[in-house]
Amino acid sequence: MFTSTMRSLFSALCFLAAAWLASAAAAQQGDPDKGKVIAYTCNGCHGIPFQQNVYPTYSVPRIGGQNYGYIVSSLQAYREGTRKHATMNAQAHTLSDEDIHDVAAYFVSLAPEDAPSEGAENAAEGSAP
Amino acid sequence: MISTHHPRTMLTTLAFLLALLGAHSAAAAGNPQRGLEKSTVCQSCHGVDGNLSLQDDYPKLGGQHYDYLVHALKAYRSGDRENAIMAGFASGLSDQDIEDLAAWYASQDGLVDLSVD
Repeated sequence: MFTSTMRSLFSALCFLAAAWLASAAAAQQGDPDKGKVIAYTCNGCHGIPFQQNVYPTYSVPRIGGQNYGYIVSSLQAYREGTRKHATMNAQAHTLSDEDIHDVAAYFVSLAPEDAPSEGAENAAEGSAP
Repeated sequence: MISTHHPRTMLTTLAFLLALLGAHSAAAAGNPQRGLEKSTVCQSCHGVDGNLSLQDDYPKLGGQHYDYLVHALKAYRSGDRENAIMAGFASGLSDQDIEDLAAWYASQDGLVDLSVD
């Protein structure tokens, strides 16, 4: 009886661990479809070709195809205020971690089919001894 | 118009406008080839064309807007944008270096605008 209790406890723990791992993995990889809905607002500045930031004046950065981790860390830094930009601080303030991951997944999905990085990666691998 | 009555005013205005134009084109006058030559340090983290990032939380630079790259590098250099790694690299760059590097990465394929649909 003792061993069977132990065994079921062990299974329960395994199940919990698996569930936790699965949810952690989900948090790591956002949902691009949900991200696309959230990113509707982003299009107002990042979707207009040559849209200008003012004071100071410069083009709003291109973010289609940007790296997942960079989008996540940028939005979190804007939300926490460690990276400063009035509009982006305000926008990021409305986003949960899950929103940020979803948006990042959507931006990554916009990478051109023949992403130059693929070629560069292959070239780098090819030149490795 | 005032200028038709005062040729000197017109000339001054013209000179001023030309100066503005000059300043504007100077602002967009990075040399991509020089940028490539100066980018050897950048390449180790961002790749030759700016699209091969050493870590996923480093940005792609290929195809980014020229003036945004200039703005970002100057912000790293001044400390307005805080990043220990980039501050170290940007502190050694002149305005000309920054413009050349920006011209190189902006001329590469890579990032795209979000599409409104």
